[in-house]
Amino acid sequence: MSSEIAAGPVDQPQSAVERLHIAGLHAPADAILSVRDMNVRFNTENGVVHAVRGVDFDLMPGKTLGIVGESGSGKSVTSLAIMGLLPSTAEVTGSVRLKGKELLGLSDKAMCEYRGNELAMVFQDPLSSLTPVYTVGNQIIEALTIHNPTMSKQAKEARAVELLAMVGIPSPKERLRAFPHEFSGGMRQRVMIAIAIANNPRVLIADEPTTALDVTIQAQVLEVLHTAQEETGAAVVMITHDLGVVAGMADDIMVMYAGRPVETGAVDDIYYNPRMPYTMGLLGAVPRVDVAEKSSLVPIEGMPPNLIHTPTGCSFAPRCPLAADACLEGEPALAPVPGPAAHRAACIKSGSLGGDVDVHDVFAAPPVPVSRFDAIPREERSTVLQLKDVRKHFPLTKGALLKRRIGTVKAVDGLSFDIREGECFSIVGESGSGKTTTLLEIMEFHKDQDGEVVIGGISNKQAADGKTRSAMRRELQMVFQDPTGALDPRFTVYEVLAEPLQNAGMNKVDTKKRIMELMKLVGLQPDHVNRFPNQFSGGQRQRIGIARALAVNPKLVVLDEPVSALDVSVQAGVINLLDKLRAELGLSYLLVAHDLSVVRHISNRVAVMYLGKIVEIGEVDRVFDNPRHPYTRALLSAIPVPDPQLERTRERIILRGDLPSPLGTPKGCNFATRCPVFAALPAAKQEKCLTLEPPLEQVAPSPAARTLAADPLPALDQRFACFFPDGELDEDMLVVHESADHHAP
Amino acid sequence: MTNLNAVDPAAVAQDAHLEGADVVIGKNTIIFRRFMRNKTAVAGLAIFLALTVFSFVGGYFTQWDKQTIDPFNIGMPPSAEHYLGTSQAGIDLYAMTVEGTRISILIGLIVGLVSVLVAAVYGCTMAYFGGKVDKVMLFILEALIMMPALLVVAVATSGGGEGLRRDLPSWLLLIIVLLVFSWMGTARLIRSLSMSLMQRDFVKAAQYMGVPARRIVWRHLVPNIGSLLVLDITRGVTGAILAEVAFSFIGIGIKVPDVSLGVLIGGATSQVQTFPWMFWVPLTVMFLLTGSLAMMNDGLRDAFDPSSSSSGSAKKRTALKARVKGNAS
Repeated sequence: MSSEIAAGPVDQPQSAVERLHIAGLHAPADAILSVRDMNVRFNTENGVVHAVRGVDFDLMPGKTLGIVGESGSGKSVTSLAIMGLLPSTAEVTGSVRLKGKELLGLSDKAMCEYRGNELAMVFQDPLSSLTPVYTVGNQIIEALTIHNPTMSKQAKEARAVELLAMVGIPSPKERLRAFPHEFSGGMRQRVMIAIAIANNPRVLIADEPTTALDVTIQAQVLEVLHTAQEETGAAVVMITHDLGVVAGMADDIMVMYAGRPVETGAVDDIYYNPRMPYTMGLLGAVPRVDVAEKSSLVPIEGMPPNLIHTPTGCSFAPRCPLAADACLEGEPALAPVPGPAAHRAACIKSGSLGGDVDVHDVFAAPPVPVSRFDAIPREERSTVLQLKDVRKHFPLTKGALLKRRIGTVKAVDGLSFDIREGECFSIVGESGSGKTTTLLEIMEFHKDQDGEVVIGGISNKQAADGKTRSAMRRELQMVFQDPTGALDPRFTVYEVLAEPLQNAGMNKVDTKKRIMELMKLVGLQPDHVNRFPNQFSGGQRQRIGIARALAVNPKLVVLDEPVSALDVSVQAGVINLLDKLRAELGLSYLLVAHDLSVVRHISNRVAVMYLGKIVEIGEVDRVFDNPRHPYTRALLSAIPVPDPQLERTRERIILRGDLPSPLGTPKGCNFATRCPVFAALPAAKQEKCLTLEPPLEQVAPSPAARTLAADPLPALDQRFACFFPDGELDEDMLVVHESADHHAP
Repeated sequence: MTNLNAVDPAAVAQDAHLEGADVVIGKNTIIFRRFMRNKTAVAGLAIFLALTVFSFVGGYFTQWDKQTIDPFNIGMPPSAEHYLGTSQAGIDLYAMTVEGTRISILIGLIVGLVSVLVAAVYGCTMAYFGGKVDKVMLFILEALIMMPALLVVAVATSGGGEGLRRDLPSWLLLIIVLLVFSWMGTARLIRSLSMSLMQRDFVKAAQYMGVPARRIVWRHLVPNIGSLLVLDITRGVTGAILAEVAFSFIGIGIKVPDVSLGVLIGGATSQVQTFPWMFWVPLTVMFLLTGSLAMMNDGLRDAFDPSSSSSGSAKKRTALKARVKGNAS
């Protein structure tokens, strides 16, 4: 059957209808949603873009299907096509059956019967998917009214309250009257889920529902989705690029590439026994937060094909390390592979691949680079950056004419740390924890700052004249989060790279030589210097940004979320590059990232920030393997791991609520309002948390501390700020999905 | 979601033939090539250049000049001796048109270029420094906007400003007055545009590299509002020409013995029926002048704008693809 599908209806227009008929007959009778041979084409002046090419799947009631793939692989288009939300210019063929009824070809009005009723969708961006001028109650009730015209007003209101309570919004009755702007991003996503499940849908499509959210909030929202699915018994289609997110949720996985499913199967088969090089690459490209072992990530070189041209061979062949001549002869069909019945892969070599093949061998991952500093103990290396008690407080004022100060936002509150040569130091925390402000304070480097910043031996207190400042600028460079925004669109790459060099007073000949050097260093073709940034892919743009930062040979590079805007496969390449540069050039990094897996992979030391303060700091493996502060524990537990077994059984801490408002910070420990330990403490001990501020203390090498090293080192490189690190966790904040064999510690 | 991984295949193809050739193509060359692709714009440029050349060398093709009166041909239609006829005073219209075109182009170019330049630097400076600097500069700007330009022009060129008028030719005086009143609107627009550019990472990147402020304004802010500036230059030139024509028409602009297109048109309006050539000739020249500028306008903007969708086939494809991708994701 699948070989016919691979051919596509373009070549065999006559048989398409017939084939669909057969396909419909073959669909399992109990499938709630059956998609057969779905093709989506967009007509452009350039030719036809074939965005989705032959997608089939069956969704069983109450099951979850995860669709994963890079951006541009057709995941979202597939979901929109099912919902009938594509623009009328899109040409959709094939068949979509909901409970046996055909949905494709229905008019917009007829589709409205299904949308929001039996089919519901949760979108990616919670900030823009709610109408700002209506209360959330109104918007939920609107969803109810459309599909239940006879429902009474009281009943609708009661149902809305029930829904809000179900998605975990505190005091739902009052919050019904609130407007979207009064909710945080995570809360708004909960409201979106409430609206989606309002009419007990049979199928819920979630299109990257947590991509825009913080990890702790992501964990909350995923939990809500889980609850919603349990409550309504709906089948869920989960679209994501994050293999960790779906690992714990999905029953089946469909990996898409260039508009086609390239591997489908049960979640365990896909994760433990991938049969398609692309799936293997995707899995190998993701750094793991739970693994300390240092190995390079697997980069998938190249970029997805242009879908205007119909691929003649395997669409992945140009990027595939295993590609042979046979791969270029016709696109391989999605064929069953040895093993479980439902597992299918579109690769002619799928038979020789499997769980026992190491992805690092297949993709030729570069060797782990070794820095010359690795051998030198940390204490003996020189310090490149030191922060001493840096503070940044913003006054909070109210009133238009007479501004009165109603409080202070302590964005950064007494930060001290140092970075040694050849070291990568990371700062992690939720958004709003003061990571970026810390970076800005360092970059600002001004005499009037509160606290001392010492960069390469130059203190901000002495940096009065321009000369010292420019000397400092040569020591410290920055790489930005958004590679597109960080490059002047009007500069060619040459000009981008020449700017810091000219500024340093280098002559033209040397500048040109240095630029060629830099291009090679970051793995770009030197003759691409004439191109404008928009002619590069995201990963390449970030490489240009890195090259610019390295132009003046700095000692320290500040990386502000350097890979968060990139696809996983591209991300792996950039991370490997950063690793390599650190080793080869003896660089130090100051990394700010919200992705803890990336942090674990690349850093030597890490600091966890919460509301402007460091709550835990130390060597990365020590902090990640043996977190002492409850917040660190919660953060780590919130990261989904691309390992279905682990993900299903592990117990996670779901923090309540969001970061508290800067005005509502407690006098004592900042974290007390959300702390799972605090919630379980007896009142007498709670008092201590509320009144005293816990100092940053060394981890004592006591037997209580579950350190892996048996020998009691005099000073462990890990400090934390909590009075009761060994306290019991509050039961309410612990969640285990399936009956696990182990329980709370 | 923005698609960061979309790469323009056409650009890659374009690159393929560059491969191996170790030449750094200057940005000016790229801009020039893009401009030359736009046929309308090139036609506009040709007309404009032709008019400019005509205004400088046209005078050598006739023995008459703008002051000599031909007492035998007063108000005569075009003839072999007077290519475009004569005015009622018996002055050769051809000579006057040449002279008028030159003055008009001069006024247009100087006012258009200088006012936009002033506006760009002023607006960018305001945005870059912000705070008190911004407040003071904005106050000056607002004050100038509220000044009645027409009255000041009238006073400067006719009633008052005796001393000025003695020392300067009337066209120079008009240029100065037009300059003073023409840059404010653009400056304010540029200020708001630059303010949003200031939030972009590449400006921050330059600051953190230690690039001095004036260099950031000049290298990052001004070029990034470049397409707007170019549009404003051509529009400013057109505006200045029209303003000159208008002021001269109502008699407060260029004063006789200086001639300009506006003076010619203004002088001839009352006798369109009887001496049509005296009205239509300078009007046609004016249309050609402003029309050619408008034609160039479009091509220039596309050439300067890297994300423009209509500058050459390679670029066109990127934009389309980006739009499709935008729809797709």
